Order: sequence, then C-alpha cells, then structure tokens
Amino acid sequence: MGKADRISGSFWFIFSVMVSIESYRLGLGTLHQPGPGFLFFWAGIFLGILSVVVIIRTWGSKKAGEPEISIFGGQNMTKVVLVLISLFLYALLMEKIGFIIITLLLFVFLLGVIEKKRWFFAIFVSISVTVIAYLIFEVWLRSQLPKGLLGFLRL
Amino acid sequence: MVDVIQNVIFGFQVALQPINLIYCFFGVLIGTLVGVLPGLGPPAAIALLLPATFKVAPVSAIIMLAGIYYGAMYGGSTTSILVNIPGEAASVVTCLDGYKMARKGRAGPALGIAAFSSFIAGTFAVIALTLVGPFLAGIALKFGPPEYFSLMIVGITVLTYLSSGSMIKSLMMAAVGLILGGIGMDVISGKYRFTYGFQVLADGVGLVPAVMGLFGISEVLENLETEIKREILTAKVKNLLPTLKDWADSIWAIIRGTILGFFLGIIPGGGAIVASFASYAIEKKVSKHPEEFGKGAIAGVAGPESANNAAAGGSFIPLLTLGIPANAVMAIFLGALMIHGLQPGPLLMKQAPDLFWGTIVSMYIGNGMLLVLNLPLIPLWVMVLRVPYYLLYPLIILFCLIGAYSIGNNAGDVIIMLIFGIVGYLMRKFRYDGAPMVLALVLGPMLEEALRQSLILSRGNFSIFVSRPISLGFLVVAVLLLIVPIITQRKKLSILKE
Repeated sequence: MGKADRISGSFWFIFSVMVSIESYRLGLGTLHQPGPGFLFFWAGIFLGILSVVVIIRTWGSKKAGEPEISIFGGQNMTKVVLVLISLFLYALLMEKIGFIIITLLLFVFLLGVIEKKRWFFAIFVSISVTVIAYLIFEVWLRSQLPKGLLGFLRL
Repeated sequence: MVDVIQNVIFGFQVALQPINLIYCFFGVLIGTLVGVLPGLGPPAAIALLLPATFKVAPVSAIIMLAGIYYGAMYGGSTTSILVNIPGEAASVVTCLDGYKMARKGRAGPALGIAAFSSFIAGTFAVIALTLVGPFLAGIALKFGPPEYFSLMIVGITVLTYLSSGSMIKSLMMAAVGLILGGIGMDVISGKYRFTYGFQVLADGVGLVPAVMGLFGISEVLENLETEIKREILTAKVKNLLPTLKDWADSIWAIIRGTILGFFLGIIPGGGAIVASFASYAIEKKVSKHPEEFGKGAIAGVAGPESANNAAAGGSFIPLLTLGIPANAVMAIFLGALMIHGLQPGPLLMKQAPDLFWGTIVSMYIGNGMLLVLNLPLIPLWVMVLRVPYYLLYPLIILFCLIGAYSIGNNAGDVIIMLIFGIVGYLMRKFRYDGAPMVLALVLGPMLEEALRQSLILSRGNFSIFVSRPISLGFLVVAVLLLIVPIITQRKKLSILKE
C-alpha cells in the first residue's frame, strides 16, 4: 500500500492543515471558555500528525519491497464514473423535473445504457419500479417527493 | 426483582399491541432480507428506512429498526452457508465452516444450528439487557460531563482498536468524523462553522445521508467495479433440525459465544463483527479437533452465530442506559431516537418507559418470530439471492436517493449522500474504515458539549478529567488501548529482526 498511503496521507495532511487554520480563525477561546474552534483545532493537529505517520511508514514498506497495488485497476471504472454522473444529475434535477420522470430516466439509463439490457425490458422494468416506488413512498408513506414538471397534474 | 417483573409485564403490554407486533414483524422480515442480500448491510438499511418511520409513533419505529438489526444477524448466515457470500460483515466467519458443511450436503443442519444458536444467544442477550439495563442507568445518573467526555473517548478508542486494518488510519477517521460533526451552527457562540455559505450545511452534516453514502452508495460503486461472482448451491436443503450429535458438538460453542458476544457488545466500540471473529478463534483453540475447523466443523458455525447475535443485543445497553452508541449501527439508533424527540441516556427509562421496555420486550418476540420465520422461508431467501445484481443495485440506489431526499425534502441532502458515497468508495480503496468516522460524527457534538461544560465546571483546569475516579478509569483504559498496539508491534519487529 506504499503509493496509495502516500496519496491518502498527503490528502489528509492538507485537509488537517486547512481545518486547523479555519478553526484558529473561528477562535480558540480560552481554557476557561473554549471557543467554537477549540476542539477542531486540536482534532486537526491530531489528524495532521497521524497523516504524517502514515506517509513516513510508506518509506519503510518501500524498502521491504512490498508489491505496489494498483488502486483503480478494476475493468469497469467507466461504469462507476457514468453511474456517479447520472446520480449527480438526478440530485441536481430532481426538484425541477420531478420524481416520476427523473426516476424513469435514471432507470432507463442504468438498465438500457449501462447494463445494455434490451430496450423493451429496460423500459418495462423502469416503469414498474417507478410506479411501485411512487405508490410506496408518496401514497403510502407520504414522503412528499418533488412533483416538478408533472406538478400541474395534482397527483 | 419485583420491579423488573413489573417492567417486563409493562413491556409486553406495549410490544403486544397489534400495531407494534406488525412493525416488529416487518422489522425482522426486512432485517432478514437485508442480511440475505449482499451489498446492503444493517447500517445502510436502517438509515434507509429511518425516514420512512417519521410518521410512525416512536415506539413502533424503534421496534421496527431494532428488528432490522437483529434480523440481519440471522439472515447474514443464510447466504454465508449457501453461497459462501456473507450477507453482512458479522457473518464473514460463518462462511468458513458453514459453506463447507453445505458442500458436504449438510446445508440443512448448518442453517438449523445457525438459527437455533442465534435464537438462544439473542434471547440470552435480551434477558441480560432486562437485568443489567436499570442497574447501569442508575450508575450513569451519577455521571457528570467529565465522565461522559472520558467515556466517549474510550468508545472511540475501542472502536479504532478493534476495527479492521490499521489503527492509525482508524484514529484518523475518528478525527475526521469529529471535525465533520462540528459543521453547522455552534450552539454556544452562534457562529457558523465550516459551512462556507451552503444553506444545507447550516444544521450540520446529516447522519442519514452520511451513512447511506459511506455504507450504501460506496458499496454499490465497489461492486460495479468488480462484479460479484455467485455460485448458488442448487442442491435441496433438507434436515434442518440438527441431530443430537450436532447439538452435543455445538452446545458449548453456543454458550461461550453467547457470553463472549454479549460482553463485546456492551463495550463501546465492540460489536457483532468482532464478536464473531473472536468466538471462532476461541472455538478453534479449545476444540479437541482443531484440524476440522475450516472443513465443516459445526462448532465453527454455532459459536460465531451466537456471538454476533448476543453482541447485537448487548450493544443496545450503552445506548439505552448511557446514551452512548457502541458502534455505527447504534449511532444511527441514537440519531433515530433524537429525530423522534427522545434523549437517549439514563433518563430514557423514566421519560419514555413504554419505549424502553416495549423495545426490549419486542426483541423477545422478534427473536421468536425469526426462529419460526427463518427455517421455513429459506427457499424464499435462496430465490431472492437469484435476483441478478443489475436489477438489485439500481433498486438500492433508488432507496438511497429517496431516503436521503425525504429526511428534509431537500435535494442538498442527496448531494451530501453522493459525496459521502465517493468518499466511502475511495476510503475502501485506500483501506480506511468508515465505522470510526460515523461514530465520531455522532459523538462529536456531544463530546464537544461535555468538554466545554467540564472546563467551565473546573474553570479551565484539565485535571478535572483525572481527579474524578470514574473519569480517570475510563481515560486509563483509553491510553492502554493506544499503547498496547505500539508495544506488541515493537515486539513483532524485534522478533522479525532476530
């Protein structure tokens, strides 16, 4: 885990420095009356020290000749990225477009495009899932899902 | 003793109300399903269903959520035995001997003993919870802010000590969780911390989106990358009832597993996963035929299965009596109680006796339901397992999306969940454990309050944490836990050098 630990250790080190600076700006207060940044300043310092330890340890393992493990070696990285993009789009657009349409689109995308199932199957499953989810969450549990474009229907 | 009996009777009156029976039934059923399905563990499942309980009475809600937790412990063993895929982490060890038993045509007795040992251990844990709970709550009433502070420090340290992988990394994740817990408005000064103008962060990072991201979405992403291969045993499962010899081989394993699991469950930071591994190690050590372990020893199924169920029951104790969650799942329960307007802690028993005793007694009933439900339903669970992953993961994702949205009808929470999903996915890649982060995220605000109150009490003198004996005791334990790994590592290194 040599290289991976160096990357993640460095990330957390930068993160901890940022947290400590920000906490210092919030105000550490006094020991009598700790300010809003007190605990987080020290948590940041603690995290920073540990991340340095993680980085230093990688030097030892390098000498020991541990094999490097590739981190993103899986064959389906594009799949992961595409699914993530579709989910972020879902979150950003769900209030504008509304639950029913956006869920339908998401499922057609996941089943039809990502999983490359037959279109008839993908559309059939998408419609069934959307309808069932709507009945469970909106009608039965009254979750108040966003109506969006279909708002005029007053479902 | 009379008190206890009265309380239990009261608990039965609550738990036997038809509506609560129905919720208990749904809880254990969903729990078993969650346990059976790989890729959806109890923390994510409970977080998912939490928003669905907002409109329900708190007692019914908690009864159902508790059912999901101990139900998952039952269900997890089914997939371990039949498919060699643990449905959730506490059933990983059950694969070792359970699957081997199934390969030898003894799937029936393996499933049977798993269910019976789960039932025995679960019931024992609930009885112990009934007896120990009021006693511990009594002690906890004497706790002041310094004791709470030190206890929470122990909780976080134990979890990092027991968590899988590097302890340093776990401690780091605890620190990150603590920092994330500080996001939002500071109650004492009224200042906004780390919100950077994002309205959605003003109330802090929600526990539910964080858990669903870290344990739900990230697992889906990981499974998408490396597709799960499944080999389902097609042979018919028969002879579910273990024979007399099976019982003789496993009864002591069940007893040891139950006791061990219960105590590991009570300790903040312990829990079902550690308990199952510890029990397996012990059984292998005390066995007269250790060479049979890993080749289908029934004690290797009975011990861990009883340990994880006893631990699941035991972990309710610190939450219900001290208000301190023992593990990530209990952290979500803490969140659930607070969302329903209840303050977990020593006063819970007085303020909401129906909830306290109703939930405990519902676990007796739920354990019974699980025993009756599980054995006949095994064919159904095997069928569920045949649902292909390309259908399963969109459904898990959809549940997460709806769950995160319906906490506050806010798409911002969905974004937070997705960000935690990416963080959790990267954490899996870089071998960081998510559980300490979740626990610290929940404990963070409580820890800060206890720290500030203690320092105000002592007028800025840190010695208040060591001058009070109970607090000192907790801190000594925490320091020991931090030092022990360093010493043992040194020893290992010096042995290696020689």
